[in-house]
Amino acid sequence: MSDLIQPAKADPVVGRLAGNSQIVLIGLLVLLCLAISIGAPQFYSVENVIAILRQCSLVLIVAAGMTMLLIAAEVDLSVGASLAFSGCVAMDVTNQTGSVAMGALAGILFGGAVGLFNGIVVTRLKVNSLIATIATMMILQGGVFLYTREAVQNRHQQRGFTEISTGYIGPIPIPVIIAAGVIILAYVVLRHTTLGRYIYAVGANEKAARLSGLRPERLKLLVFVVTGLLTGLAGLILSSLMNTGQPTAGRGFELTVVAAVILGGTSLTGGRGTLIGTLLGVLVLKVIDNGIIILRWDQNLQMIVPGIVIVVATYLDLVRRTSDAR
Amino acid sequence: MHADLAIEKPAHTTPGVAALEMAGIGKRFPGVLALENVDLRLEPGKVHALMGENGAGKSTLIKILAGVYQKDAGTIRISGVEAQLRTPRDALREGIKVVFQEIALISEFTVAENIFLEEYPVNKAGSIRWNTIRKEAAALFARVGFNVDPAAKVGSLPLSQQQMVEIARALAHEARIVVMDEPTSSLTPNEVALLFGVIRRLTSLGIAVVYVTHKLDEVFEIADTVTVLRDGRHISTKPIGEHTNDSLVQDMIGRRIENLFPRSRGAARDQVVVSVEDLSTDAKLKDISFEARAGEVLGFFGLMGAGRTELAKAIVGFDPIRTGRITIDSKALHPHDTRTGVSLGIGLLTEDRKTEGLMLDLPVLQNTSLASLESFARGGFVDETRERSAVQAFIDRFRIKTPNLDQQIKYLSGGNQQKVLLARWLMRGLKVIVVDEPTRGIDVGAKSEIFALIDRLAGEGLAVIMMTSEMPELLGLSDRIAVMANGRITATMARDEATQEKILNAAIA
Amino acid sequence: MPQSPSLSAAAGPRSVSEFAVALSRRNEVALLICFVLLVAFFSLASDNFLTMRNVTNVLGQASLAMIAGIGLAIVVISGEIDVSIGSLTGAVAIPLVVVMNSTGSLELGIAAALLLALIVGAVNGYLAAYVGINSLIVTLGSLFVIRGGVYLYTGQKAIPDDLMLESFYQIGNGRLFGVVPYPAVMAIVLLAAFVYVMRHRPFGRQIYAVGGNQEVARLAGYDVRWVKFICFIISALLAAVAGILLSSRLGSAVHVAGLGFEFQVVAAVVLGGVSLSGGVGSLFGVALGVLILSFLANGLGMLNLATEWQLVVTGIIIIAAVAFDEMKRRR
Repeated sequence: MSDLIQPAKADPVVGRLAGNSQIVLIGLLVLLCLAISIGAPQFYSVENVIAILRQCSLVLIVAAGMTMLLIAAEVDLSVGASLAFSGCVAMDVTNQTGSVAMGALAGILFGGAVGLFNGIVVTRLKVNSLIATIATMMILQGGVFLYTREAVQNRHQQRGFTEISTGYIGPIPIPVIIAAGVIILAYVVLRHTTLGRYIYAVGANEKAARLSGLRPERLKLLVFVVTGLLTGLAGLILSSLMNTGQPTAGRGFELTVVAAVILGGTSLTGGRGTLIGTLLGVLVLKVIDNGIIILRWDQNLQMIVPGIVIVVATYLDLVRRTSDAR
Repeated sequence: MHADLAIEKPAHTTPGVAALEMAGIGKRFPGVLALENVDLRLEPGKVHALMGENGAGKSTLIKILAGVYQKDAGTIRISGVEAQLRTPRDALREGIKVVFQEIALISEFTVAENIFLEEYPVNKAGSIRWNTIRKEAAALFARVGFNVDPAAKVGSLPLSQQQMVEIARALAHEARIVVMDEPTSSLTPNEVALLFGVIRRLTSLGIAVVYVTHKLDEVFEIADTVTVLRDGRHISTKPIGEHTNDSLVQDMIGRRIENLFPRSRGAARDQVVVSVEDLSTDAKLKDISFEARAGEVLGFFGLMGAGRTELAKAIVGFDPIRTGRITIDSKALHPHDTRTGVSLGIGLLTEDRKTEGLMLDLPVLQNTSLASLESFARGGFVDETRERSAVQAFIDRFRIKTPNLDQQIKYLSGGNQQKVLLARWLMRGLKVIVVDEPTRGIDVGAKSEIFALIDRLAGEGLAVIMMTSEMPELLGLSDRIAVMANGRITATMARDEATQEKILNAAIA
Repeated sequence: MPQSPSLSAAAGPRSVSEFAVALSRRNEVALLICFVLLVAFFSLASDNFLTMRNVTNVLGQASLAMIAGIGLAIVVISGEIDVSIGSLTGAVAIPLVVVMNSTGSLELGIAAALLLALIVGAVNGYLAAYVGINSLIVTLGSLFVIRGGVYLYTGQKAIPDDLMLESFYQIGNGRLFGVVPYPAVMAIVLLAAFVYVMRHRPFGRQIYAVGGNQEVARLAGYDVRWVKFICFIISALLAAVAGILLSSRLGSAVHVAGLGFEFQVVAAVVLGGVSLSGGVGSLFGVALGVLILSFLANGLGMLNLATEWQLVVTGIIIIAAVAFDEMKRRR
């Protein structure tokens, strides 16, 4: 049956709209905002909106890398552990050298090194990335305690270090600006550059990409390193936020990130996904979080609701795609 | 119940009642009427050939019979009793065994276990009787004369042996109707003879056999009756005696294809573009040497497993080689990878479009420009306007049928997909193109277009290396012919010296 | 890895050396050699390692991962995955302890725990097998929902076992003939039962076939969705058994119990040679994978290495094992 001429969609405009999984998410987001604001009018206050964006920023920075990884048909579950470790490294090096810049650089580079390690294990040793990065997660979780028994304090009370997360440029917190920068950059790369196109190609069909003269291993390695660097950056911001390097931070962070990216419509099998989707996915999850808080609901719902949302969103996506094919 | 092989038992038949009667069968897929009012009547103990071009509806009809697809209209009667075939399980219960063209075996299981996959023999406690499975599988192979090790893991067997396992599997249980879909596609002539022996044995037991093929000689040898489908409609059902080669082709195609192999190009030039010296791989190839010139089509013929695809993948740098030297336009393909190959100007049009060629979920645009994206980029940024107009130019030139450039490529027909993959390479600009089974899974109308494109490419000065197992294609397109067997080149000849006999003899060697 | 060893022996007489080569190719044998070397190393390095007390202790600890690992392996062999087992292992303690506290009956408590698992397994299985949502997403979702539900119900506090039933204490801490811990007995019994099912029952073979090639399995007349559905239920029930034993060892329903357990179990299953793409793997391999990781952790502890080293070494071993396996396969 492989040669049955499949139908062209009747109307390309309707087809493209329906083919856009983001419609579902935007609708969901609007509904959520409406529902929450009815129960809690302060939802729309500038402070609250800024607070939501600030909470989004950590997840967004890492999710940008994770989106590219999933598009390339790989995954990284070590980001949570790497987040904590690179935060500790950043704080520690700041203490040792007295230079916030050195500390920040060390934290980011540490994340990049973790990404490089993951990338080499996956592309050279051919270990399935799910397993490889679970193993890396274990190594990092053990390793961070060997590195430091307890939280690394900001010993010299460097203001500059806390400024990274608490500072503002105009009315907007620095982490939000960083996250926006990362998202825009990643969007441009994925959408408008040859590199971005190749990432999609490798994820969609690695053999076809190789036959066309691409080098899938190198591309994947690069995306692992980028994800690692972004995780290091997020780790730096996290430790700045807490004003300590906390070795136990970031537990479960990898699941939140993966959940947000999947919610954004990125396919686990590679080749499909967008950063706009990821942005919406993170927003939906964080608006839910925020709603639960300002409606004064039990905060433990913060775990349950996203769990249901991911499954429902995936289900809707499935329904949309199958009705699409009819 | 498995003490005796089912193959030795006559089927339960009632005289005068058809083994199977499919009447007015209709099946609609999204946007396509795959079958319309199709009838098929099988007599017990007879071989009924089902013929038609790709897309004629043979596979759909068989899949309805196998319970894989649901019919939208019509009735199915088995030995006179109306039957509902909602799942493959229903079909199996009715005694319908289908030998599918794509090998339907679990490659991690042994041959013997695969034979009994549909129904494991169990003891009273419900445990599988492995001994019985082993013994019966061995006995089955001994009886039909297939030389297959029942203890071997299916995944480790060559394709032809897997096909024999697939055939043997249909015989392990009691059957009333056996359907074989292109069962000889990877068998040698000797194995085909064994298969025909099996089929005659089945019919002597009163089993009705449906034999799907596009090979005319096989039909005349084995079939009693022929039904031809075209475009999802029933065209004719006649005893084989009333058919000639021409009348069958006429029924299948419905129109005369004028000049399937157009030739517009001139003679090949003298300039050697590809030279391969003493190429060997760990996997299969041994001491392969040849040259190809600009403007010629060099056809490689070989039976299944001769090493054509392996050679194609090795010379473009996709598969590693052990020894040997490949030169493209007097530059060595070194390092041996596809990146170097593509930059030197050699590319492969793969035989396996789905897994090695297409990015199924991505649009036509991305699929077409994949190999030449750099030429639309400045500073790493893709100029999408230029990309689109370049792709559109190819879509128009190759007459690729797609509603727009953003259509996902999985929704295009096989022929149009193949044209997109050809366009991918031509946009890049190649000196050598290796085409592996260029018309596999493509219907006859699109075939002649692909042939015309290949002819034009050679006319424009490309060296075309064509791997094929289709004799007409080989003879119709090639300037020179190389024949492969067991990983070696066994003969090379010019087109006008070549005969079918010479080629086949070299291929069996 | 032949799934039916009785068959591979059938090809006729083979020389001893051929037999040895074939044997060494088998994943279980390689794992067994690793395991023996590991035990030999630690027993030389530490006097306390190869003592009855220590070995039975480790077995007691390993058995929880082994029981859950059998279930996860079956799901993975069927071509799916279940990452909700960690949350479920922790969650079943709540109905267990709550029902036990209110009725005074251990049996009713266990029944309540298994009922919860049955519901979770059915929901996972329905969504993954019948609705067709990717099982990683489905079970990731239930991981969140179950853990969140536990926090919500307990208010992030442990629920104590008020009755202190001796029978409840015994199932996790008692020993058969005073030697073998009951959890280990349970693990061995379940392992034997499921090895039998996977090798000698048509249903077990169907699981392998469905994971190996879903389309072929359907053509052979199997109800692919039903087979997968049942696998999710098996996985949930076995996770519940592990959870019941765990809560007995902890003596209460602890809200954070089983946190990250899914990763440990996935690691052991993959180390044991089960392929994440489905259709390949043996439960013996999984058992050996669990034993290697457990004895490794214990041995490193004996050498007075910080417990953190256990995580690091485990991670490295998993990468090395999978990379080695991959190399072997490509050759």
